[in-house]
Amino acid sequence: MEVDISGARVFFTIHTNIPILGDLQISETLVVSWLVMILITGLCIWLTHDLKVENISKRQAVAEMLVETANKFVIGNMGETFRYLIPFVAALFSTSLVSNLISLVGLRSPTADLSTEAAWAVVVFVMITWQKIKTGGIGGYLKGFTQPIAVLTPFNILSEIATPISMACRHFGNILSGIVINSLIYAALAVASSALFGLIPGLVGDVLARIPFLDVGIPAILSVYFDWFTGVMQAYIFCMLTTLYIANAAEG
Amino acid sequence: MDVQNLVGLIPWTFVAQICNLFIQMYLIKRFLFKPINNILEKRKAAADAEISEATKAKEEALAMKADYEQNMLEAKTKANEILTTAQKTATVQSEEMIREASKQAAALKVKAESDIAQEKRKAVNEIKDEIGSMAVEIAGKVIEREISEEDHAKLIDEFIASVGEGA
Repeated sequence: MEVDISGARVFFTIHTNIPILGDLQISETLVVSWLVMILITGLCIWLTHDLKVENISKRQAVAEMLVETANKFVIGNMGETFRYLIPFVAALFSTSLVSNLISLVGLRSPTADLSTEAAWAVVVFVMITWQKIKTGGIGGYLKGFTQPIAVLTPFNILSEIATPISMACRHFGNILSGIVINSLIYAALAVASSALFGLIPGLVGDVLARIPFLDVGIPAILSVYFDWFTGVMQAYIFCMLTTLYIANAAEG
Repeated sequence: MDVQNLVGLIPWTFVAQICNLFIQMYLIKRFLFKPINNILEKRKAAADAEISEATKAKEEALAMKADYEQNMLEAKTKANEILTTAQKTATVQSEEMIREASKQAAALKVKAESDIAQEKRKAVNEIKDEIGSMAVEIAGKVIEREISEEDHAKLIDEFIASVGEGA
């Protein structure tokens, strides 16, 4: 039994020959990302059509609840001055969440590609840095690296760089581990299934051994943790860290 | 079909995902936050309007109440005044009536007394006349026949009895 866990498949390649960027590969990650975006946007449009001021529908109540929750989350963590970041955090959370959970329907999560998390983490890192410079000026920002004593400068730089890396790798690692473990469990259960039904003598045993009966149902239980829990948790953690880091940066 | 590395950074995917994030941000802002915030603001405005209307109505009601109370107070004072005046007038009138009545009664009494006195006088006069005529009659009868001592006493007794009856 061979278990093969690979990266995103590439549907087709556009040769651009741009240095560094290389060829544009339309990968599974990108296609599923677009699907996720369509899903989220479609959901938003569906939730917000036919809005009323009074006597609202359940659909509108859900939409208002989502908006209120996003408002509360961002303003609660960052304060009233960061009201403009609400759509960004909401986009980050919803994209992350739907990307994580889309693996439940058999698609490959875009978040199972380090490029995705790296992209988000770099955006957040740029925001953090920009916020720091805005608060303390470039001098203050650079001086911050020598605090509390100059000897610590290399470590401060390291810790600064570690922020986006740890954010990206935490999220990516959790999702990837889910995929790896799920693949292993499927494979292991298939082996166990064929061994179990292989015990039945004769042709019936041979036929039944080829069907991985144990793969039905059992992985779903594990998926509650590895897909549902991890998926929701990582999306939440990523957004929480984003808001906290930026708010911290603003404090100087 | 090509397969990318399981763990690796693909520059194009990286760039595309940054763009995707910002596009998603715009889409969420445009299709979720804008309409919902709009409706929330509208609701807030409606609620504010209702509250201010209610406040206005309450103020009006309070003004009306004050007005009403003022009017009530005035009416009460007026009623009291009217009552007091009426009572005063009634007392005065009744006193006057009583006075007049007693005056009339006194006048009547006086008149009745004088009437009685006159009647009495009249009666006495009449008795006097009768006694006179009786005396004449008795004299006539005495003359007509011999009167014995007994008869004489008898006559006197009759006379006295008749006088007593007549009186």
